[in-house]
Amino acid sequence: MIRRAAPWLLALFVVANPAAAQAPSELRLEAGYARVRQREQAPDGSYRERDSDAGLVAAFWRRPFESWTFLASGNVTYGRDSIAAAQAVAAFSAPWSIDDRLRTEGGVAGARFSLASAGRGGNANAFARQHYLTDRGGTWLGAGVARTTRDSRYSHSTGADFGVWGRLGFLYGSGSYGWQQSSDRPLLTAAGQAVDPAARLYTLSDVELVVEARGGPNSLALSWASRRGISGDNASRVIAVSTSGILQVTERVAFTATAGRQLADPLRGLPQAELLTASLRVSFGEKPLPVMQRSAIASASVEPAPGGGGELVVRVFAADTMVVEVAGDFSNWQPVALHREGGLLVARVRLGPGKYRVAVRVNLGGWRAPRNLARVRDDFGGEAGILVIP
Amino acid sequence: MSMHRVAAPKRIRLLALALLAGVSAGPVFAQGTSVLPIADAKSRQAVERVIASAEAKGLPTQPLVAKAMEGVTKRATGERIRVAVDSLAKRLEQARALLAPSPSAAEIVSGADALAVSVPGPMLKKIRASWPKTQSVVMPLDVLTELVARGIEANKALEQITTLMARGATPAHIAGLGASVQSDVAAGLAPDAALEVRARGVMSLLPSPAAQAAGAPRGTKP
Repeated sequence: MIRRAAPWLLALFVVANPAAAQAPSELRLEAGYARVRQREQAPDGSYRERDSDAGLVAAFWRRPFESWTFLASGNVTYGRDSIAAAQAVAAFSAPWSIDDRLRTEGGVAGARFSLASAGRGGNANAFARQHYLTDRGGTWLGAGVARTTRDSRYSHSTGADFGVWGRLGFLYGSGSYGWQQSSDRPLLTAAGQAVDPAARLYTLSDVELVVEARGGPNSLALSWASRRGISGDNASRVIAVSTSGILQVTERVAFTATAGRQLADPLRGLPQAELLTASLRVSFGEKPLPVMQRSAIASASVEPAPGGGGELVVRVFAADTMVVEVAGDFSNWQPVALHREGGLLVARVRLGPGKYRVAVRVNLGGWRAPRNLARVRDDFGGEAGILVIP
Repeated sequence: MSMHRVAAPKRIRLLALALLAGVSAGPVFAQGTSVLPIADAKSRQAVERVIASAEAKGLPTQPLVAKAMEGVTKRATGERIRVAVDSLAKRLEQARALLAPSPSAAEIVSGADALAVSVPGPMLKKIRASWPKTQSVVMPLDVLTELVARGIEANKALEQITTLMARGATPAHIAGLGASVQSDVAAGLAPDAALEVRARGVMSLLPSPAAQAAGAPRGTKP
């Protein structure tokens, strides 16, 4: 029986796509098409390139709580000439109470798949990552373990990565080093990394550089990765270049596309392949927001001033890459940038008694009401918060 | 192609003018100089006509300029800004009629904002009738708007506010009610429950109806 890798590959790509994982919507559905080129095993045991078409349906759910966020995603894919594949991921992200520049992420994922190149089976993995974040950059250290079954044969993989990132205006850049050790021979053989058939453990050493331009909900990223694979006394090298982009078409609909090479990932069972994908993302829920769920970030309060009026204080938990601005009738709707106070971004505005309309935006995205204010429609398809100062 | 290259600096100059105008955009406009940085000339002129018309009717124009600036900041299309400014002008006119006979500019603006969150027109009349004509109803209207925007039924919010007004509450009392409800909601209380509890609290600070009937002085007016 000839098995196809495209659906599984695409499913993994969507879930692993960092840009998709940062999407703000509480509930998002995505449907798309992909052209996938990968190596598969011929009946005579040799490997050859094969192109496949596939479609996918994916769901992403994000639930922000006061101090942490829960994320869940699942997807089903189906290729015209292949069987279906499915995957589910549950993860959390939470700041430390002693210093919210420290943030811990973790989660588990499970999948069932059928790969032309590397067998039928499933994968279960767990991962954790520790971040140190400022408003202009940060570092992370992560680790993961996985157990994979292919045609009733088990393999184990472990990995760790370390990275740094920084922001300069609308440009974001990151560099990382990753190390993986795996006994997943079918996967790495298909990728051309397991060049020593006698070896039982394979070591992968990766260096990756990413540059991304962001404007509100829109982004364009370019990634370059170099992998050195070691099996026994032999070593191989492979380079992967890929690009991905998100274009927010309306408040609810975005177009996403990717192109380039995806390296094999033993931790998630992801095979190496050339990808070309295009999909439409539709956001649902009470307030599908293109940049950041307002309830997750900004709050506003008034600190009374002697003699009447008060100081409007807008606080945003933004211990990451965000640029946050506040505007309102008090500033004639000219944006005022928040400045950092400890782990928060803060704006303070002295106001007299009266009623004010206030809105906050993140990374030049849509203007939203701070979470604890009464919300009103703004006549422009968005919203503003209103605040009455005694 | 060359037209686009010329148009861009012009837009930048207009934006710079608007930024310089700052909070004084209203008066500058009233002097006949267009500073609205709406790129679409047709829409900009339409907005200017709406504002000029409002000014001729004696309506406050500063909220209209602010609405246009809000639209520009939020990257709305010129047509959408025109519609928003036009709608606000109509609400201002409606609020003035409802708060007759002689509402101040601030009262008209507060009334228009209340109408924007779907407070029924007769409620504005009722609030106006609950206080002496010489006393501003800005704060009751603003608090009503905020409470309704929080999801409290307009009837219920109006009842609490007018009861307080009838009992001699001052604008400071009414403002305090709004601030307390906001703080309770932030703490997790349902808006309805917060309003009921806080209104009762304010009520306890006011003179009893019997004392009022006996001629006891009302609360301090601002």
